[in-house]
Amino acid sequence: MKLMLILSAMLLPSAGLAQNQVSLDSEIFVERTTHAPNGAAQVALEAPGVVTPGDPIVFVLHYRNNGTAPAAAFVVTNPIPQSVSFAGAQSAGAEYSVDGGRSWGALAALTVRNPDGTRRPAAATDVTHIRWRLAQAIPPGGRGELRFRGVVK
Amino acid sequence: MRDLKLMPTCGSAKRMAPRHWRFIKAAMLTAGSLHAAAPAAAARTPAGTVINNSASATYDLPGGGQDTITSNMVSLTVDELLDVGVAWTDGGDSVVTPGALSQVLTYRVTNAGNGSEAFRLTARDNAGGDDFDPVTTSIVLDGNGNGIYDPGLDIVYVPGGNDPVLAPDASVVAFVLSTIPAGAANGQRGRVDLVAVADTGSGAPGTSFAGQGQGGGDAVVGATGADAEDDGYYAAAAATVTFVKSATVADAFGGTAHVPGAIITYRLTATVSGAGSLANLRIADAIPPGSTFRTGSITLEGAGLTDNADADAGEFTGSGIAVRLGSVAAGSTRIVTFQVAID
Repeated sequence: MKLMLILSAMLLPSAGLAQNQVSLDSEIFVERTTHAPNGAAQVALEAPGVVTPGDPIVFVLHYRNNGTAPAAAFVVTNPIPQSVSFAGAQSAGAEYSVDGGRSWGALAALTVRNPDGTRRPAAATDVTHIRWRLAQAIPPGGRGELRFRGVVK
Repeated sequence: MRDLKLMPTCGSAKRMAPRHWRFIKAAMLTAGSLHAAAPAAAARTPAGTVINNSASATYDLPGGGQDTITSNMVSLTVDELLDVGVAWTDGGDSVVTPGALSQVLTYRVTNAGNGSEAFRLTARDNAGGDDFDPVTTSIVLDGNGNGIYDPGLDIVYVPGGNDPVLAPDASVVAFVLSTIPAGAANGQRGRVDLVAVADTGSGAPGTSFAGQGQGGGDAVVGATGADAEDDGYYAAAAATVTFVKSATVADAFGGTAHVPGAIITYRLTATVSGAGSLANLRIADAIPPGSTFRTGSITLEGAGLTDNADADAGEFTGSGIAVRLGSVAAGSTRIVTFQVAID
């Protein structure tokens, strides 16, 4: 009986969220570049073992509709962790915020206030939040993933 | 009789700037950067920092209303990067005389990693690429942070005993003290490399030391190999010259009053120190306003010289005197005298 409980806990990691129709999981990988003997660079995603400043990391969000009805107007938001410098979305359709999630838009349309009061175009490193708004409802059983990249400051 | 010590006015005085002057300049340069050593904005994430990531999502429920979900929290701990930088900061060769003891070279050691780290220092005085090998006798840490070597105040470094512990981006000034070999010739250079190595470990970039990082993570060797060095140089100035000018006044009454007709005898002493010799040393001095040169009064080493520009070493130029000393060996002195009468 005890074993059964443990097993079910492992199978349903988000036991407290069991009533939710859609599940959302977050993963972090480290991009490792290795060089083949002929000098060609090979990039692999590894589970984070040793991570130091300057290391490129990839954030992966998995979503899945576990319910029986479509989930419409699905919006995923990920604040960029404080010690990470945003380095670009790998999944299309992202919107960005450079002011803590108050306003959103394409990165090229955003500006950042300079110390002297003037404004400059926002850079990737200014991004505080990233979000995706899915145009289509997630059908029952539908799943997908969203990726973005960062660098450890 | 009285002696007046005057500043040298000799036109050809080949004087070396005092050697400590460069250290004063170096101290002024480094004093500012000591306080600016930890730029907060560009700082690397400190070792042991935990990066947490979690996303949230909203969607419309089939029966109306909206649901908000939160993902699991993923965490990773930033490990310690081992990196170090060494820079020779004298700004130019440290000018020394052959045989001199405790001659100083100044370096700055900077923790370029993201964790607090101790560094082992070594001075390599036989690295090659130079003309003579200084003999390093000690490394001293700038205990009072003024960038200048203060004997007795600064801290003598003992490898493994007081390895400087530096916070990320912090730095310490280290002085290398060496004896200059007596045989170093004029213009020759002697090189000393200061080497700093992270105590936790060093090696090829990417080498990791499990569990030895600050904050409980691993320690990983960074791009510098956690082992850095810079070369500093002494330059031997075998011979230097100093001038001293003095004057004695004799009036017509056997006294020393500055009255018209009193005779002033100027005495110019050139002392060459160090080793080797100085070539084409020449002394020149102007006749002071309000006085008149006394013809035939120039002497060199007690022997009279004619006033004309001729075969002997000295002459009166009309406005001053000039004496060519030729090549003068270190350790010797040349004395020139001449007289003027107060108008």
